Amino acid sequence: MASELMKNGDGEMSKDERKVYDRQIRLWGFDGQNKLRATKVLLIGMQGLGAEIAKNLILSGVNSITLKDHTEVSILDRCSQFLIPRDSEERNRAKASLSSAQKLNPNVKVIVDTTPIEENVDSFVTSFDLVIATECSPSTYKRLSENCRKSNVKIFIADVYGLFGYFYQDVNSAYSLYGEIFPNNAEIDTLTSTKKLPQLYYLTSALLKFQSDSNRKPNPDTSEEDIEELKSIIHLQINYSSSDQENKDDVFEEYYGELFCELSPTTSIIGAMVSQTALNTVMNKPVDKYNVFFYDHIEHEGKFHLL
Amino acid sequence: MAATIAGVFNPELQNLIKESKVLLVGAGGIGCEVLKNLVLTGFSELEVIDLDTIEVSNLNRQFLFNKESVGKAKSHVAKTSVLKFNPNVNIMSHFGDIMDTKYGVAFFNKFKLVINALDNKKARSHVNRMCLSCQIPLIESGTMGYNGQVEFIKKGVSMCYECNPRSEPRTYPMCTIRNTPKEPIHCIIWAKFLFNQLFGETDEDVSMDEDGKIGSEKLSARNWAIQNNYDPKKLFKKVFFDDIKVLLNLEHLYAEKNIKPVLLDESLLDQEHTKYSDVLDSEMLTLEQNISMFWDCVTPIKEKWERSANKCLVWDKDDDMMMNFVVSCSNLRSAIFNIPFKTHFDIKSMAGNIIPAIATANAMIAGQIVIHALRILRGKFEKCQNVFLRSMPNHKGGVLVKDKCIQPPNPKCNVCSSKGEIVFVTDMHNFTVRQLEELVLKKKLNMVAPDVTMLDRVIISSDETDGVDMYDMTLSEAGMTNGCSFDAEDDHQNFRVKIIAYDKEKSGEEDLDFEILNNINDLRTANEQNNKTKPDENDEDDDDDDEDDCVIEQAASPAGSTVCDNNGGAVNYVMVDEEEIGHDEVTEEIGNEEEDTEKISNEEVDAEEISNEEKLAIKRKADEAIEDINDAKKSRVD
Repeated sequence: MASELMKNGDGEMSKDERKVYDRQIRLWGFDGQNKLRATKVLLIGMQGLGAEIAKNLILSGVNSITLKDHTEVSILDRCSQFLIPRDSEERNRAKASLSSAQKLNPNVKVIVDTTPIEENVDSFVTSFDLVIATECSPSTYKRLSENCRKSNVKIFIADVYGLFGYFYQDVNSAYSLYGEIFPNNAEIDTLTSTKKLPQLYYLTSALLKFQSDSNRKPNPDTSEEDIEELKSIIHLQINYSSSDQENKDDVFEEYYGELFCELSPTTSIIGAMVSQTALNTVMNKPVDKYNVFFYDHIEHEGKFHLL
Repeated sequence: MAATIAGVFNPELQNLIKESKVLLVGAGGIGCEVLKNLVLTGFSELEVIDLDTIEVSNLNRQFLFNKESVGKAKSHVAKTSVLKFNPNVNIMSHFGDIMDTKYGVAFFNKFKLVINALDNKKARSHVNRMCLSCQIPLIESGTMGYNGQVEFIKKGVSMCYECNPRSEPRTYPMCTIRNTPKEPIHCIIWAKFLFNQLFGETDEDVSMDEDGKIGSEKLSARNWAIQNNYDPKKLFKKVFFDDIKVLLNLEHLYAEKNIKPVLLDESLLDQEHTKYSDVLDSEMLTLEQNISMFWDCVTPIKEKWERSANKCLVWDKDDDMMMNFVVSCSNLRSAIFNIPFKTHFDIKSMAGNIIPAIATANAMIAGQIVIHALRILRGKFEKCQNVFLRSMPNHKGGVLVKDKCIQPPNPKCNVCSSKGEIVFVTDMHNFTVRQLEELVLKKKLNMVAPDVTMLDRVIISSDETDGVDMYDMTLSEAGMTNGCSFDAEDDHQNFRVKIIAYDKEKSGEEDLDFEILNNINDLRTANEQNNKTKPDENDEDDDDDDEDDCVIEQAASPAGSTVCDNNGGAVNYVMVDEEEIGHDEVTEEIGNEEEDTEKISNEEVDAEEISNEEKLAIKRKADEAIEDINDAKKSRVD
């Protein structure tokens, strides 16, 4: 591993860095690369999606990335967590990922933080340019979104459920907070009155509600019960929103079977989409007309929405 | 590995994932990501093949490699890296060329699915044919900068890789390169020619004075250089002063034109050496620095040339001296023709046709490839429409957008339909059988081991024991006549096509050696246009009556990469920020690149608003821009 002195942000880009970054500098220019070299990122959650985001950001050459996770490696990580070697004896997810993550690019400072985000003070986020959160509880997302808005820190919140995935972004403080879009009630009351909602909004909202109620994501061990539970949440939500009769709950039948664990094809897609959108934001090319992105694995389409 | 955990997939799919043998062709940008995704998803019978070794410029995206693995075989290192997070998978890695005949039908037949993660058209076409022949579903993919696409190919179900005609590499009029350059790219191409002329395999005089005015006494540039022992200062004087004086004497070249070379100040001939080593590659060199750079690079290249096998060097963008040669020569030429200089960085992009590449686009495409793979395993082909990755959301917010439905095969496709035929036009009295094999069948039609028969008579045989050797004959001597037809086939690829040949006398040295058209109507149309069209306002030689054909392919490069590509740029207008600004007024042949490409791309994106044909055509062009470069790279290695 390179010495600390050689890390990013300390002076001009070296010749070696230019060589490594050549193919992307030809895309976003030296200016873009220099902006990345100055960017400090907080990444919360080091499961499969976190691993993808870490990979993409470290390869891109950001200044530093703090991998924050207090949880332990699980067998379910094998569905998508490629930074943890099988023979690793380290139990903490962030610590277990550190060595592979750092090897991706010795120019980036890779830092591990094993304190739960819930235990950090609200101003914790201010020491970063960019916060990307995955695998937190809906209430933690709500709080992070508010704190980042207050501190003017750009935030991305992303999750993958099986082959489905989505992310939320707040890059210009112009639109709703996370908690306003996903209020986590059984009834979607704040949004339905004014907007026609995309189908996948209901699925996401139901998954979040499930998570709040059960304190976990749907699990392959209990797949049948979990699917029933999700169905009833969606049913409630859709029936409540009388303005949106087009969305029938049976349209989700195909989706239910593939909502477990974080599956690699979609962590790859969502991880890359959230990473690139975040990097573009840093390079002053934000996607600023939208705030939510859904990847629809059945229709295989990825779309931004303004919710 | 998702498929080893009960409940993640339904049991049927779970077994299909575990049992299906998959071939991944290419372990580069997309390949690394696909391999990771396949292994994590639980695929456990994999083979991966790649003929490349790892380079430093791969490391920003090919995450299975690191500094220590530079120089090693991609396929082997990729395998070792993924085994660290999943040791329970059978991966066989091949360090080799998928076009090698040892990977024949028997090899392909082992697989339930083939995934292409390639970087060149030739290999893509080859795998396309192998999969059509073996009836194996193929997922084809590509990225370029922020953009990318995933295509599903299955015989009889969808379009094949070759169902749509392909775009040609960008060409530039030879006369522009020789006599009337207007843009930096013209000077860059010229510089590469000069390199070839001095050190490369051809000593064809392409860059200096025009049309043999000095007659047979004229010394080739190579011989001149040898006689003068490649003395850098003498060479400098010859190329940038004496030859320009010759050009200036040919006044007709510059009559009624805004272009005219201007002689450099003679004092530059013996200027002091000017330091340039501390100038960053993103900064502009001065005229004096370019001259010093030229002086400094000639001798090291000459020494390398003397050591080389057949006294023949192939220009390589990654060789610092060779790169310096092209930078200094193109800028010096620009100085003479009053064209703005370019930085080392930009010239490298254009001369080396470098396609920008990032990890994220590859990861999105690789994710979609595996989603498609899961649908294919379950036979849900109708769910495998082509998917396009856009650099920015379209007006509906779409970034990953798909075709509405599977594109049906083109019934006239030369490759996947039995009814395909090709029209081939050449001067039969000059074009040889060897050229037919090398230039037409192998290079153009991407065959590996072609056989040609005409009315049961064998003209080319891939089997040496047949004892057929007509290579030195012209087509006419081999028995071909205007309008005759013959069959060309490649047994290995199980690909055959009927070719109808037309004779057309070559009327000028700069005529194309041959043309390939999809049908005879194209030939008629082309002829009519030839008759109608006035010569292009520029670039003509007085003694040349075929202006329209006065084009040459830019040797190793389709387009000065993306920037100079006006119609193929739809999916790839990515490099515009620092490029070519301020040259619009002299770009009539090339168009207003940036504006055009932006426009096209804005339209292109909305899958619902433009026809799929158009979309595919646009995409293919971008796609091919990528490949031709790599084609060039590959042939260099050969």
